Amino acid sequence: MTNNRLDPIRQSLSSVLSPLQYLANVPGVMLDWSAEAFATRNMLELQNKELLRQQLVMSERLQRFEHVRQENERLRALLGSPVHMDSRKMVAEVMEVASDPFRQFVVLNHGSQTGIYVGQPVVDAQGVVGQVVEVSEFTSRVLMVSDTTHGIPVRVTRNDVRAIANGMGDIDQIELRHVAKSTDIIVGDLLVTSGLGNRFPEGYPVARVISVSRDDGQSYAVIYAQPLAALDRIRYVLLIWPDETKPFTLPNDVQELIKEAADKAAATVNSSDPQPQPVETTTTPVTSEVNQ
Amino acid sequence: MSAHIANGRLVVWLTLFIGMMFQIMPLPKMVEAWRPDWLLMVMMYWAMALPHRYSILTAWLLGVMLDVLLGAHLGIRSLALSLVIYIVVLLCQQLRNYPRWQQSLLVACFICIYHAVIFWVQFVVVGAAPFNVDMFLPAISSLFIWWWVFWVLRNMRRHYKVR
Repeated sequence: MTNNRLDPIRQSLSSVLSPLQYLANVPGVMLDWSAEAFATRNMLELQNKELLRQQLVMSERLQRFEHVRQENERLRALLGSPVHMDSRKMVAEVMEVASDPFRQFVVLNHGSQTGIYVGQPVVDAQGVVGQVVEVSEFTSRVLMVSDTTHGIPVRVTRNDVRAIANGMGDIDQIELRHVAKSTDIIVGDLLVTSGLGNRFPEGYPVARVISVSRDDGQSYAVIYAQPLAALDRIRYVLLIWPDETKPFTLPNDVQELIKEAADKAAATVNSSDPQPQPVETTTTPVTSEVNQ
Repeated sequence: MSAHIANGRLVVWLTLFIGMMFQIMPLPKMVEAWRPDWLLMVMMYWAMALPHRYSILTAWLLGVMLDVLLGAHLGIRSLALSLVIYIVVLLCQQLRNYPRWQQSLLVACFICIYHAVIFWVQFVVVGAAPFNVDMFLPAISSLFIWWWVFWVLRNMRRHYKVR
């Protein structure tokens, strides 16, 4: 159907033309700069206070999260499941340049010079934004989850039902296609990335279900969800490198605890069963595609 | 003489690139749909004034660049631009002699054709784009801006003696 023979030409052309994009972005940057430069002391104080308050709330939440994360890791280690890794991240700024009016793109101010690659997941503070589809030297283009050609494998947090969320060309709506009418999805369900398809890492929030209709005239349930990321007014996004991971470093006492528990478990197994059977694990391959 | 020609080329390409920059400049959400087609208008002027120099090939090249800048499939805008410029080159003798209001009406028609072609190719290639009359709004804004574009570019052409 499609071939990529023109991609190198396109990439070099877009590298050559990227100064034009930076130039077109200048008025927006100037506006931002003037807003910052002429901010009154009062405004800054207000903003500062609000940020301090937010930071306090967040750090409290982080403390709890840290506790839960460690607990989760300990349990995972006991089960022998792979421990979740921390991946490399980078903040990028959205350049304000016009894109194709029929598509849903944003342009970022980083390119292959900073190691951005095609297919890279992009998130913002609230949820998944989309994925990188085009990289030039100094800019890159992100296809948002709301584009008609974008699909993202998701999972309902409440009951782990899996589905694929497709964009509809509407900035504030995506749909779950081919979901059986009997599937348990209700309004208000949170959809997070399922990690299937190997493009988006698992567990990032994507959207919240806003309407479910099970019309007898339709073959499938018609389910719409609203993306959590503020797609129409994103300024900063987070680029993730899911493959470049480093393990969370566990505190020493936790590591000792884990070792102790493992030794104890081994000891009980040996005493009760003189000939331990090799444990066979079977994995069912699950395939899912991000249709591009 | 050769200095003149080089100078003229520089002026033309400069105006074309300024047009392209205006085309991708950020606009507030409210007026985004009304964005005039700067690049097409500038290109139309030069095709009308100097059809032997700037015509379909130039339009095609600019179209490819615009496609790259907008992230569209390569060739959509180059097809639409070169088609419109072909019509303009065919009619350039009449267009030059029309009164300004008639000229701007025709320009609006051309811009409608341009957007219709883009929509059609997009529909065939990408699919599932809903038809929306909003896509013809740029024709209305361009109708008024054409007067200004024409005036500026003609003065420029005369001042720099672009031939």
